[in-house]
Amino acid sequence: MKKNAVSKRLSNLPVHVILILLCAIWLIPTIGLLITSFRPVQDINTTGWWTIFAKPQGYEEYQTYCASCHGEDGSLISSADLSDADLVQDYRRSITLTPSLSREIDGEPHMGDLPVPDEDTTASIAAYMRKLSGIDTTTKFTLDNYIDALTGYRGNKTYRADCASGTQSLDLHCDIRDLANPRGMGRAFLNSLAVTIPSTIFPILISSFAAYAFSWMDFKGRQWLFALLVGLQVVPLQMTLIPVSRLFAQLGLNGTFQGIWLFHTGFGLPYAIYMMRNFLGSLPRELFESAYLDGASHWTAFTKLAIPLSVPALASLAIFQFLWVWNDLLVALVFLGGEHPVLTYQIGNMVTSLGSGWHLLTAAAFISMILPMIIFFALQKYFVRGLLAGSVKG
Amino acid sequence: MKKRFWLLISLFIILAMVMAACQSTAAEEPTVAPEEEAEPMEEAPAEEEAMVDEACMGAQPGDEITLLYQWSGVEEEKLNEILAPFVEQCGVVLKPESTRDQALLDTKVQAGTPPDVAFWNVAQLEQYKDVLVPMDTLGAHGENYADFFKDPGTIDGVWLGLPVKADIKTIIWYSPAVFEAKGYTVPTTWDELDALVESMVANGDVPWSLGMESGDATGWTGSDFIQDILLVQQGPEYVMGLISGEIAYNDAGVKQAYETYGKWAKDPVYTVGGAEGTLSTGFNDAILKVFSDPPEAMMVKQSGFAGGTVAEQYPDMVYGEDYDFFPIPGAQGLQGGADWLMVFNDTPAVRALISYLSSLEGGANWAKAGFDLSPNMGADGNYTDAALIKKGAALANTTGFTPDLGDTIPGGFGSAEWTALVDYVNGGDLDAGLDAVAQAQLEALQ
Repeated sequence: MKKNAVSKRLSNLPVHVILILLCAIWLIPTIGLLITSFRPVQDINTTGWWTIFAKPQGYEEYQTYCASCHGEDGSLISSADLSDADLVQDYRRSITLTPSLSREIDGEPHMGDLPVPDEDTTASIAAYMRKLSGIDTTTKFTLDNYIDALTGYRGNKTYRADCASGTQSLDLHCDIRDLANPRGMGRAFLNSLAVTIPSTIFPILISSFAAYAFSWMDFKGRQWLFALLVGLQVVPLQMTLIPVSRLFAQLGLNGTFQGIWLFHTGFGLPYAIYMMRNFLGSLPRELFESAYLDGASHWTAFTKLAIPLSVPALASLAIFQFLWVWNDLLVALVFLGGEHPVLTYQIGNMVTSLGSGWHLLTAAAFISMILPMIIFFALQKYFVRGLLAGSVKG
Repeated sequence: MKKRFWLLISLFIILAMVMAACQSTAAEEPTVAPEEEAEPMEEAPAEEEAMVDEACMGAQPGDEITLLYQWSGVEEEKLNEILAPFVEQCGVVLKPESTRDQALLDTKVQAGTPPDVAFWNVAQLEQYKDVLVPMDTLGAHGENYADFFKDPGTIDGVWLGLPVKADIKTIIWYSPAVFEAKGYTVPTTWDELDALVESMVANGDVPWSLGMESGDATGWTGSDFIQDILLVQQGPEYVMGLISGEIAYNDAGVKQAYETYGKWAKDPVYTVGGAEGTLSTGFNDAILKVFSDPPEAMMVKQSGFAGGTVAEQYPDMVYGEDYDFFPIPGAQGLQGGADWLMVFNDTPAVRALISYLSSLEGGANWAKAGFDLSPNMGADGNYTDAALIKKGAALANTTGFTPDLGDTIPGGFGSAEWTALVDYVNGGDLDAGLDAVAQAQLEALQ
């Protein structure tokens, strides 16, 4: 018995290794992105996220060449206090630091017995001195990327730095109101919710009515109508942008939430009806027949039987539709545009036309990811059930 | 079964409640916007009202202008700053939309719902010449613009585009601190530049950082440089001849410019990483290589925006001490890019906007906001940023201004130019590459 168990475990080992490897391949970039989103832009531009555990640049070099005289914190020699920003100002790059290191002080070489470090080493020491003296105030981790993204800060510094110095732009107040700044991710988050929730509920509601009718109500041309609806799934969304946009312009729906709800509902319906009809149609016929025999109307059968039984299907449909609408850029760009910027639209606008500001993308990506993740984990149970929809018996 | 039913119901109720909450935010928005815009109107004293009306061309407070432009981030912020006085004065509500997807503009125009005003490239003036409203109809103050700025915006004799933002490209960025420490001086003639490059090489320094990777648009930094070399070797008339098609792109003059550039761009002695570095280094990284510590290169040829890139990465650097630029020595005239304002719908509010932007006051406000350069003569003397003052002076004093070849010649010319350049740096045959570009040039200009 025991031997059997061991060999079984061994035979499973390759599967486990492969699974763990796949997970790692999948997760590592995301973890990297998460770490990057907490790093200051200057660090992102120069070093990779995996270097976060290393000592600050130049620490080792400083220990080797400078710490014995200037001390750990640079303030041991009062006439050459390396924690003094005004002094370091003149020696903050290797180009100005090198001459100082190679000259003589009171007839002695500056470096004493040590050799004068080469250019790269000097550059590292200069970088460490900028940190020691406070010229370089960046910390290893920062929330600035998130704050800047949420408030829609656009500038060469950070929201906090600009607010501290009072040089913030006209449309920022430097208080809680900035979270509703139309250019920020905070407002965009609300707009995305306003687009997504109705665009998820409407198609599901309508499709469950329709699916019930297609499954359990007898009317002429039912099969043909259903085939037509399923066939509608092949219509590519991109092809309809211009005609629908024209129609919306005549109806005054361009740039309104109603317009985009209508569009998403329309394009969500064929698949939703198809899936719900397949699910409802697979429920046992006897169940409905006995209900009708007992005098139940279609409405009663729908609310008391069909809906409670199809919760898993509804939930998985909701997840799919929600994710699709939440992550949609094309439709939002064409029909909502800048009037009510949604998350995807705003993410695209974080970067200027010349590619600066891209560090905000990391934070913006996580802001837009957070809600789908919550939804997914909260409804995971139904999601799995929905996948097994056909095999579950009421 | 019953439990499931209640679960579903409660799920719906919660979602519906959130939805309602969001709808109310959505519903609030329209009421908020006019309030903000209307406020300054109330503050305006009564006696000023007559004047206000005149400047606003009869636009009523609350009138809307839809805008479409490619700017975002800091750029958008500066545009808002420039337009703020106009918005306050006339109470007009701006409805901007920002995208770099030209398909959106095309979709909107085709759908019959174009934005009132679009800020786009010069090529779109040609593309939409049948639907655009001429600037003279709108009452733009053409006298505030030099002729060489109005010319590219004039299609078939009709002035269709207002140049609003310009950036000069004929400049080289360097570090004065490094130059001083190493004993280099800023060259004033092309021969001096050539000698400087050779002396840098002799000292073991890499003179150039020519990286030009930029996704689909890889090559644009290189084609900019080549156009600058053409301005040095041949002059502005030659470049305008290329644009009009009088001179074919496979002319000997163009080949000479490519070879001048290729000598530097393909050799690791002259540029960081040699040909491979030129092709694979991103243009933003290429800028930073000159200002990193220790510097990997001495000079980078890049448009005016490079200063902002340096300032963001190295907040402790000071313009004029740690980073600065000089005009490409020996260049006759400047190369630059401009963004063009084009009008699709003629309304009083749009006329007021055009009148404001093309007025001397509009030019001055553009300069004060520091959103690159303004071709408007009112900008002169109003720049506050040290780098912009220097660039603005160069622009105001130039005798010639040539637009970017690739931006100006429509069709596939721009990408053909980049392909040829990338192939050439990669070791491909120059003559064959230039023939292909000349073919694209011929097709585009027919």
